[in-house]
Amino acid sequence: MTPSEETDLNHEPRTDDLRPMTSVQIQQTRDFVESLQEKCETYWDMIEVGDCLARELEITPELVILYADAVEDYNSWYEGWRMNTWRIEGESPFGPAIVPPLMVSHFVLSVQFDHTKPFAIGSIHTFHDSEILEPILVGAKVRITAKAIDKFIKRERRYVRHEVTVNDVASGKLYFREVRDILSR
Amino acid sequence: MTTTARSESFGAARITRDTPVGFELIGVKKKAAIQLMGSRLWGRFNPNHWDPVYAAATGLKAPIQTGEMSSAYLSEMCVNYFGADFFRGARMQCKYVGSTFANEIITTYGIVREKTPKGSGFRFTVDIWASNEQGEKKTVGCVEVDVGV
Repeated sequence: MTPSEETDLNHEPRTDDLRPMTSVQIQQTRDFVESLQEKCETYWDMIEVGDCLARELEITPELVILYADAVEDYNSWYEGWRMNTWRIEGESPFGPAIVPPLMVSHFVLSVQFDHTKPFAIGSIHTFHDSEILEPILVGAKVRITAKAIDKFIKRERRYVRHEVTVNDVASGKLYFREVRDILSR
Repeated sequence: MTTTARSESFGAARITRDTPVGFELIGVKKKAAIQLMGSRLWGRFNPNHWDPVYAAATGLKAPIQTGEMSSAYLSEMCVNYFGADFFRGARMQCKYVGSTFANEIITTYGIVREKTPKGSGFRFTVDIWASNEQGEKKTVGCVEVDVGV
């Protein structure tokens, strides 16, 4: 987008406004967006208070690197994988490499609704109250459990509240606890 | 899984039990890069996070970043200042009060609001927020962390 287009209120948005693309990439993008238009329920309708879902997640070194790179956090404590050497034990104040403190929170969304159904596009994460109880070592397998504890309307907007726990699958240790709100369409 | 803290290194001044109320943390600064916003890890499944055409059709002036990216930036700032203490018995509350649009520059901030005696140290409460270059707050919240306890 040119500077004059940025200030032009009548500018028609284009697929390549924010990054360079060829006509092939533009078409691929439009096709992908079209493929996401599955018929789905709103988040509000998908969830009933009391619904409780759980999934296990193996926090591999590669997954941690994927997350850390995606927020440009280059703290070496999170490196259980390094280019050229690949998997390494890593080093942190707790011994080997550890998981960024809020990383497991990011994966809650994949648990708090039935992930086999189409995703309800338009829902917005609005709030979280997270307790980081114990460090998670890279390589741990965790169980994320999400229970719907409330549905409420505030200023004519519909919210769903979940209570989340993250435990070690092998030992049962409680690593992380969270309350979070999603604004539904 | 037993874990024991060992040596640490930081690019920022550590918060210790002597850090006073009113101390200001120097945050981190990030650009809301469309390539990251639309990555598979973040918003790929929701075009509001990366497609200008789809975002406009839903009434947004530009694609918006997921709020969790701001929480991650704030968390990075807290690790810089609290180190290992932020990984045990800590609490972080965040409310997403404004949308972060593609290409905005986001900076995180923190200021020690309170320190409550606990054990041989203190439980610190720090107000945190993330703003754009115009000073518009996008995320607000607080963290509580035990130091020297």
